Amino acid sequence: MKKRTMETSLADQSPRLIRAIERRLFLKQGLSLGALALLSGCEPTDDEGVQSLLMGMSRWNDRAQGWLFNPNKLAPEYPESAITKPFPFNAFYAESEAPLVDGKDYKLELEGLIREKKPWTLPELYALPQTSQITRHICVEGWSAIGKWSGVRFSDFLARVGADTTAKYIGFECADDYSTSIDMATALHPQTLLTFRFADQILPPKYGFPMKLRMPTKLGFKNPKHITAMFVTNEYPGGYWEDQGYNWFSGS
Amino acid sequence: MRSHEVIALAAILAAGTGAWGVEAPGKPMKMDEPMHGEMKKKGMKKGDVKKAAEKKGRGMKPMAEKESTGAAKK
Repeated sequence: MKKRTMETSLADQSPRLIRAIERRLFLKQGLSLGALALLSGCEPTDDEGVQSLLMGMSRWNDRAQGWLFNPNKLAPEYPESAITKPFPFNAFYAESEAPLVDGKDYKLELEGLIREKKPWTLPELYALPQTSQITRHICVEGWSAIGKWSGVRFSDFLARVGADTTAKYIGFECADDYSTSIDMATALHPQTLLTFRFADQILPPKYGFPMKLRMPTKLGFKNPKHITAMFVTNEYPGGYWEDQGYNWFSGS
Repeated sequence: MRSHEVIALAAILAAGTGAWGVEAPGKPMKMDEPMHGEMKKKGMKKGDVKKAAEKKGRGMKPMAEKESTGAAKK
């Protein structure tokens, strides 16, 4: 993908903005929890009401981050010399347990607010116009690594299948039972790619064969691997980690 | 030390240090084992992800079908 700017990124300016918002939210949450604890005389721990309140605040946080999201701001791209070797494997399971998807039988299922729901085979997907990017993957665990991914621009794919791009969310289901979802603005971002190759080779199982959604504007756990189905919806779909309380937007 | 002895020694050392120790993907996931990585709550197991996916699938199915029907009518 053509490099347009190096100044704007998840790695520099936007996290400061997000941290500032989160600090304000933390103070608000602290005040709300303090008042709640005084009223109820309870410790703010696993109480269902407190959890519900915190989830509500987190959803508010998501909306604030959505408002701040600039669909034209690009994450930095790097030269081939900057690629991290070896690129780390990261999942909730061991590398030897990464799913082996049979490429011959594979079909990408499409559901929800999409006009053409015909499943896509890998040869059909590989035949679409492809682009590449060398970008930084930033993990919520605190590490980052630079890699090269290639695939079809996701906005082009959504247009091709007649997705309702006025809908709010796109959800993903994966062969390892993982799930996540993203906002439509990020789905249409020019650097959001449905990728089939890593380092110019077909994605190996450890990096997400047969496909990974690559979004350099979002934290790593929002980039699903081994995608088997996607759906467009106006109902908040959450995701595995998001349902455990991780911030849903998690991007810049 | 002769050359074939050097090769044999290097092979033994490489095996011992795990240089050939990365197993190929595709092994069945051990669901009752703790999750790998840092991004987890205490006590979470690999099998929790599958259980959550099944529960979410049941919850999302009626909504997905309703929206799919709506999209088909457009």
